[in-house]
This record gives sequence, C-alpha cells and structure tokens, in this order.
Amino acid sequence: MRRMKWLALVAALALVFAACGGDDDTGGSDTTGAGGEPGTTAAAGEPVTLRVLIHSQEPMTTWVQDFSTQFESDNPGVTVDVAVVGAGDLATVTQTRLSANDVDVIDMFGFANPVQDYMGGATPPAWQTLIDAGLLLDITDEPWVANYDTASIEQAGTFNGRVYSVNLGRTVYGGMFVNNDLLASVGVEVPTTWSELVSVCDAVKAAGNQCMTNGGQDGWPVFVGTYGMLGALFPDQAGLVEALYTGEMTWDDPAMADWWDRTKVYAQDMLEPGTTGLAHDAATFRYAAGDVAFLPTGAWQAPNLEGDGGATFDWTYVPFPGSDDAADNQNLFGKYDQGWAIAANSPNVEVAKAYVAAFSDPDTYQEFVTTTGFIPTQATATLDTKLGQALAPYLENFQVGFEQYWVQPAGAGQWANGSQAASWFVPFNEWDDAAALATQAQADLQAALDELQ
Amino acid sequence: MAISLVKKNYLFGQGRKRWVPWLLLLPGFGLYLLIAVGPSLATAVYSFTDASGVRGAPVNWIGFENYDEFLFRGLASRDNLAALQRTLIFMVVVTTVQFGLGLVLALLLNQKLRGRTFFRTLFFIPVILGVVIQGLMWQLFLYPAGGPVAEVFGWFGIQSEFLGGAPTEAFIWVMVVQIWANVGITMMIFLAGMQTIDETLYEAARIDGAGGWNLFKNITWPQLTPAINTNFLLNVIGSLQAWQLFLVLIGYRPGTQVLGYLVFAEGFGQTTGSVSAAFRQGYAAAASIVLFFLVLVLGMSANWIVQRRERKYLG
Repeated sequence: MRRMKWLALVAALALVFAACGGDDDTGGSDTTGAGGEPGTTAAAGEPVTLRVLIHSQEPMTTWVQDFSTQFESDNPGVTVDVAVVGAGDLATVTQTRLSANDVDVIDMFGFANPVQDYMGGATPPAWQTLIDAGLLLDITDEPWVANYDTASIEQAGTFNGRVYSVNLGRTVYGGMFVNNDLLASVGVEVPTTWSELVSVCDAVKAAGNQCMTNGGQDGWPVFVGTYGMLGALFPDQAGLVEALYTGEMTWDDPAMADWWDRTKVYAQDMLEPGTTGLAHDAATFRYAAGDVAFLPTGAWQAPNLEGDGGATFDWTYVPFPGSDDAADNQNLFGKYDQGWAIAANSPNVEVAKAYVAAFSDPDTYQEFVTTTGFIPTQATATLDTKLGQALAPYLENFQVGFEQYWVQPAGAGQWANGSQAASWFVPFNEWDDAAALATQAQADLQAALDELQ
Repeated sequence: MAISLVKKNYLFGQGRKRWVPWLLLLPGFGLYLLIAVGPSLATAVYSFTDASGVRGAPVNWIGFENYDEFLFRGLASRDNLAALQRTLIFMVVVTTVQFGLGLVLALLLNQKLRGRTFFRTLFFIPVILGVVIQGLMWQLFLYPAGGPVAEVFGWFGIQSEFLGGAPTEAFIWVMVVQIWANVGITMMIFLAGMQTIDETLYEAARIDGAGGWNLFKNITWPQLTPAINTNFLLNVIGSLQAWQLFLVLIGYRPGTQVLGYLVFAEGFGQTTGSVSAAFRQGYAAAASIVLFFLVLVLGMSANWIVQRRERKYLG
C-alpha cells in the first residue's frame, strides 16, 4: 500500500514536469544546432508545416494565401500555415513567436532606419533588436536577393552590411485619393497648393458634399496623409528629425507655424463629421460611395477602390498639397512596406528559403505587384494599374517619410512626436489651439533631450 | 517519569504516513511556484534590467533606472503619473457603480417576478462574451455618425464623438462598457448570497412590523456580508488590472491609458505609433511592479475593511 502511494506521487510529479516541458510541434525534424545555427529542412519525404506570419492588409492577405496554396501544390508534403494578424499587433506577435521559435517566415513590417548616433541612448527599434538577438537569418548570399533593386535592399533590408529582409514594395502614404468626377461636377480642378485645397474644400461642401473622410477610429489614419504635408513643408525628412534632436529646429519654431495651423484646419474643417468612428478600411468604402472629394491615406487602399464594391467614379492619387508653392508638392512621401525575413532558428530553413525564392521569381512578383498596387522593388516589375498611372508622374520624387526616421527619445512626453498632430486636435483629442499644442510638443520633446545631454 | 498512555490522534496517521499529505500537496505547490510565484519574481528581477523580451537579446542590469524613468524622467513621468491617477479613478467609479448596480439588480431579480430567469440570463450574458466581442459590439453601438446611441442622444440635442473623441469622454465610455461587461457576475454573487438567507428571518421581522427598508438594513445587508466582501474585493482588484477593453475600444491614444494598458504597450512596442517603436519589457516590468504595489496596498486596505465588516456582522 505504501509503495502504491509513493508510485502515485512519483507519477503525479512526472506528469507535472512532463506537462511543463517544451513542445515544438513544427511538423519537421528540428536540426537546429545548439548554438542557434540555422538548420536544414526536414528529412526528404517527411511532411513539413511552414509557418508564415503576415499582417492583415487586403488584397495582399488574400494574394499571399493563394500563393501559399500554389506553393503547397508545387511542393508535395509541404503545408503552409499562414497566420494573419492586425497591423498593430504584428510587432508583438513577431516578437513572441520568434522568441518561442514558432514561426519560419515573417512579414517584417517597418524595417526602417536604425538608431542614429545623434539619438544618444535611444532604445533601438524592434526589428534591430531581433537582428541583434540573432533571430533573423542572414540572407545576404541567397541568389534571389539580387532580384530586388539595390536601393530597397540597402534602405530596407540591410543592417551592419548584412541583408536580413527583401522588401516587397514601396508604398506611398503622404498623399490623397481624388474623386475626379465630384470635382468636375462642382467645377473645380485638382488642387496643387494648400490655398487651392482650402478653396476646393469650401466649394465641395457648398455643393452639399464632404471634403475628406478618414479612419479616425484607428487613430493613425488621421495623420498618415499629413506626412505628405510635413514633407511638402520640410522636404528633407531625415534632416528634420536630426534638427529636432540637435535643437536646430523646434516644434514651436515660427517656421513650423504653417504645419500646426494647417493640420488643425485639416482635422477640424476638412474631415467630415463622424470620422472619429470610422475604421480605416470602412473609410475607404465610405469614400467609394462617391460624395466625398478626397481620402488622404496610403496608396495601398487603391485595390479596395478598384475591386468589387469599390469606386464607380474616376479617381486619381496626388501628393498632399501641404505647401503654397506647387513645386514643393511634387514629392511622394512613403515607406518601404513589408518585407520577407526568415527565422534564424527555423527547423525548416530550406523550405522557408524556397518559399521566399518562389515569391521572388520575377513573374510571381509581377502578379503580386499588379494585385496589391505596391510600387515594385524589382527592376523588372511594373505597376501597370490605375494607381500606377496616377503615381507615374511623381515616382521619381519618391522619398522616405518622417515616421521612418523618427525614434522617440526615452522620457519624451506623449506630445513629443509632432508629426501626429492631426490626431490631437478636437474632435480626435483635446487640443484646439495650434500654437499651444506646438509649445507643448516642444516641451515634451525637450524634456527628453535635456535628459540625453 | 510519567508515561502517557493516551495515544495521540494524528489526523494523517503516524510515522511516515504523516508526510503523505504534504507530499501530495507538492505537485500543486510546485505548479503554483512555477506559474504564479516564478513569473512574479522574474518580473521583479526584470524590472532592474533593460530586457527587450526578445530571446537572445542582451540583458543588462541597470539598477533603478527603469523606476527612475517611469516616475521622474522627462515628461513621460507626467504621462505615467496621469495614467496612475486614471487607474484610481477607474477603480473608484467602476467599483462603486458596478457594486451598486449589481446589488440593485440582484434585489429586483430575487423577487418572485415573471420573467426573472430571462432577465438574470440577459444581465449575465455579457460576462460570457469575450473582450473582443464586447469591444466590437460597443464600437457599433457608439458609432458617432448614425449609430444607435448617437441617434438616441440626437433626440436630446446631444452630439458626441464617443470612443474616438476627447480623452475624458472616451475614458468614460470605457468605464460604461467595463461595468456593462461585469455587472452580471456581481449580480450573480449577490443573488447566490440572497438565496442562502433563511426566509424565516424575514417572516419573523414582518410579524414584528418591519418594512422593506428595515428588512434590507437589518437582515439582507448583514446576511450578505460574505457576498458583499467577495464582490468588493473582486471589483477593486479587477478594475485596477483592467486594460483589455482599452486596447480593443480606443487603442493607444494620448490621455486615455491606464497603468495596465501602459504596461502592455511599453512591453510590446505600441506606444509611439511609429514603426520604430521598441520592445521595452524591462521598463514595462518596472511599471507592472508599480501597479503591483498599487493593487497590493488597495487590495489589502479593501481586505481590512471587509474583515472588519465580517467581525462586526458575523462575529
């Protein structure tokens, strides 16, 4: 009897510790070395589950799922498990799944400029931490990397001289969609300066329509279009970030006054009532109804306007005319969108490489670009769509926008990143006085800069 | 030398048998250490480091730097202390209203009324919905351009941006949703307590001429002491730790965060709205230790109050 009790106790303890043990259900044999060296693929013939993580952004999401199904057909024994998460959650899920060794191919969203020397002890952005931790595979020597243009590899895939990501496309966010039919019906032209934009909005509203709509519920869509305004007023965005850090420019500098005044006008007079309750995608479909003149957001929404349930009117996409000099409004500000990266500790490294290689095939990539409307990062691909035609006159002037350079210094207050000002004015937040907000933004930034020194 | 002839009555037998219950407790205790105590201690240790939470990233011991930054550095400390203040306001309002409303609903639904089972179910349903579902429902309800609540407000000439508007307004609506989502469980605990009260106490009091208020004050309220205490503690601690509804309903917006959400946002790089946000789990750990002490102090105070009540009413 006593032995039975002891046996039962030992069995219970064994069960507990077994339950607490690691589990790596990857579907392939783990050949990762003890030192975290990249492994090889599962043994031939064994089924492999390739775990791919992307963020939700139609029609890109559906295209990647279709591509994955095709990849499965072309590679018997391989199952591709595509997990889709919201854009705001991608960094979190990437970190947790990479740390848990639970993902093979990652959609690296926001591979931007690293921390600069003048930023002092600023905390490195998330992607830089992942590379420093050895969690992303060095793909410098992969042959398919050469399919992408040198600029995209250098600016959105390289860190300390090594390549960790291939970028799927540039995207433009500092502009706005224009409802050409509505403007024609009102008898006005597409505005090329800020003053023209103000008067066009007045004319559109006087005719019983709305000037602009946007996805206020999600926060960031309110200010994403105004990166174009900031770029029109200060074309050297990298220089502006550095100047704000070094004190050569301040948010409350008189030269900044137009920025604050105009974002206030945009937030309070141009955006239609009810914008605060619209999600980003919902705003696009609201815009497609046809009685709103402009939708200031990223060009990535073009496929939603072109698809079923999209716009039935003629539209185009132009840089946000933030300056009163039309020549300053010719730059398209944007970013490198997501890129593929491979988990360094993936047990399915070879399959993961094959997956990205298949994607990088010029023909496949052309399909991707045509479907999603991304500005291609492969020299052989062309954006032969309505959006492509709209962007063509400005593509030479593509520039990386403010948010790709900005790193918030530790200790900065919540108003320190003045590029988001549009979402801080009433009705989106509490500010109604542009000058007071400018002063507060500088105070919030300066307090952190003083700590740095 | 006197020899005791009385055999001791050991609860778990004698000799080695006495150790069996302790050994049987061991797996549970081990699990508790592993799942509850271990991570808590690890969080405390992490709060003194610059850990990013990324496996393989270097972790450096930085002493009290995270606490210094959280409480004193730049103007971020102003925002953190405002979040702390908001957390306390959230706790006081949610606890008070949820407790009071739950009690009123329980009193009503403890009567022999037609349809009371239906209403009990109706008020309890939000409890079983997930936070995401709750959030989506209320985002639709509170859509400012033609949503149902906006329509009703419109009858009275009231305009509101609800969740997307001024921080104070958005904050109030999160409190409303939090109360709606949890008042059912408060009501159920009260109902369960009411159904344990001996009906003869009420009959005797009625014979003595006691009216409704006297019945409540002298019988229901004292007899409900265990339910009151449970609800009070659950509401205080639950509202101090609430953060998911903030994430789902309004996201990271200046002027709306509570401490629990701040911990999540700092830990997982969701604070700046920029692609270059960083993972700062050491810093988030420091913020969570501050929250822990807040919960500890307020939880212990609440516990002291309820224990005093118990001694007063139940002896």
